[in-house]
Amino acid sequence: MAGVNSPRQGAYTALAYVTLIVISIFCLLPFIWMALASVDSNAQLFLKWPDSWTFDNYIRVFAEENGVRWFANSLFTVLSATILVVIISGLGGYALSRSKAWWKQPFLYGILLIRVLPSTALLVPLYKILLTANNGMGALVRPWAGENYRAIMQMVGFIDGYLGLIIVLATGQLPLALWIMKVFFDGVPKDYEEAAILDGATLVQRIRRVLIPLALPGLAAAGLFAFMSAWGDFLLPLILLSSPELQTLPIGLFRAFLRINEIDYGLLAAIATIYLIPAVIAFSFARRFLVQTFSGGVKG
Amino acid sequence: MTTPMIQLSGVRKSFGAVGVIQGVDIEVEDGEFSVFVGPSGCGKSTLLRMIAGLESIDGGDLILNGQRINDVPPDQRGIAMVFQSYALYPHMTVAQNIGFSLDLKKVPKAEIAKEVRRVSELLQLSDLLNRRPAELSGGQRQRVAIGRAIIKRPRVILFDEPLSNLDAALRVQMRAELQKLHQELRPTIVYVTHDQVEAMTMATRIVVLNKGRVEQWDTPIELYNNPVNTFVAGFIGSPRMNLVAGSIVGNASTQHFKANAGWMVSMDGRSLAGVVGQQVTLGIRPEDIRPVASASEADMQASIAIVERLGAETYLNVRNGEDTLLVRAQGDLAMKSGETVQLAMNHAAFHLFDQSNNVIAA
Repeated sequence: MAGVNSPRQGAYTALAYVTLIVISIFCLLPFIWMALASVDSNAQLFLKWPDSWTFDNYIRVFAEENGVRWFANSLFTVLSATILVVIISGLGGYALSRSKAWWKQPFLYGILLIRVLPSTALLVPLYKILLTANNGMGALVRPWAGENYRAIMQMVGFIDGYLGLIIVLATGQLPLALWIMKVFFDGVPKDYEEAAILDGATLVQRIRRVLIPLALPGLAAAGLFAFMSAWGDFLLPLILLSSPELQTLPIGLFRAFLRINEIDYGLLAAIATIYLIPAVIAFSFARRFLVQTFSGGVKG
Repeated sequence: MTTPMIQLSGVRKSFGAVGVIQGVDIEVEDGEFSVFVGPSGCGKSTLLRMIAGLESIDGGDLILNGQRINDVPPDQRGIAMVFQSYALYPHMTVAQNIGFSLDLKKVPKAEIAKEVRRVSELLQLSDLLNRRPAELSGGQRQRVAIGRAIIKRPRVILFDEPLSNLDAALRVQMRAELQKLHQELRPTIVYVTHDQVEAMTMATRIVVLNKGRVEQWDTPIELYNNPVNTFVAGFIGSPRMNLVAGSIVGNASTQHFKANAGWMVSMDGRSLAGVVGQQVTLGIRPEDIRPVASASEADMQASIAIVERLGAETYLNVRNGEDTLLVRAQGDLAMKSGETVQLAMNHAAFHLFDQSNNVIAA
């Protein structure tokens, strides 16, 4: 190749920048449209500068629509699923990393298969299983619940209940999280635990004082991926939830879009913006853990 | 006689069908600096981990201060360990790392702080107490790891190749610091290394291990002067001892060593009449061979293959037929490869080993 400052090199650089700028604009346009439309009093399908600035769209999401409820439902189910995933993948990833059992590799690739299969293909059998579980739960709850039956089943039911959605969401995110934590613990030398054993730490103390702090970056990464992926899940809540009071944000967005009268782009953009915010917050929060350097304790 | 601090009798350990420790019998006296040395894979680290309680013991007895501790949990043995990797908790400060074991025992905060201060002064860590391990140099991390061990006031401190991660200069410095620490606190130390220089400089007694067995177990200088077999002879001492295959020739009154390569050297002053005609291995340390001016003083003549001039001494790699010998000559010798050199040997420093590689008593 020619010298560093040759005109040809300059042309290549310029070409690279132009390409990158075009790609960036292409990626950013939907977000720009969304941000502008959400504060436009007369939002249209096409990208345009707002006729007049207004927060009416946002106010309507919460005042006229059931926005607070949707948001709370989404946050509750996804956060619960994330917590479940973090706990199980933390313990399971540790076990999978340290175990020498023969079924370890088959198991790890087996759970990866769950991740690879399109969940749509599994919907019918999944629904069938959940329905059976739901009937079982119903039989447990009905004798003592009385007139609160429906309210209780909305909490602990497997169909049209929080519990079912949380478990299914968590199950969907577990394979990746288990892999992340398994690989993470593979990189945590056994020396830390052995040093703690010699220091007189019990199993619980070793987990709480040594392993969890060491695993925080991994847990944050696993939790982040679980949260973002579950937050973006649309199909499962659509299939599993039917009560309006259980609806999550993406379902609310979807139903607002499907309304028979004309499409209210301003409202849709406002819901979509609200829907985006937690994912962005989750990312910026977990990023701190992702970049935190955890080197230095063990040299080798 | 006092009871030894650590006593191993018939200690065994297998991983599956592989016997990594095959019956070890040694004793470590109270306050002794004992070094386990051997090539990698000889089982020395496994043996150390068995003493610590991190590996189970398949057979034999491990006795600490008169008490059999085969099945005592690691933290109740009164043993501390310094890991090769240091294993400092990265999320804790130096002070928290050092005080961790006391914190686990629910010792009051003020007392922990006092103990941490005592240890950190001893190890010159006082200015670093609020740093995290990532902010420390290799030598400082090493000292924190030692601090974490000695704060427990253990009866025994185990070191698993603690200096192998340090550069050469720092290793020499830490070696001196460890010796100083041992003299001040007088703990019983068991130290594992593959570096025989570390073993020679620090140990009060060295245990030479090979393939899960103890080859020899004695003071450093005794190992150097009287190795019981070719393994110890070749392992202890740097540069390593020359080992030459040959046989004993002669009659009842005088015997010579005849190398398979052809050269001969007289074995005066030794009663070797019983081994005449047998295949043996002659061991001679590089420092016991010197170049001489005239053939009349010399035991053999050889051609120089490689010259290494280090200033204070000169290493000559010489060849006689099939045999290659290393000569460690005092002073700077302006010799060149390809030259012929006359060599005299210190006959009193000969080591003779039989066909099963065990020493033949003089």
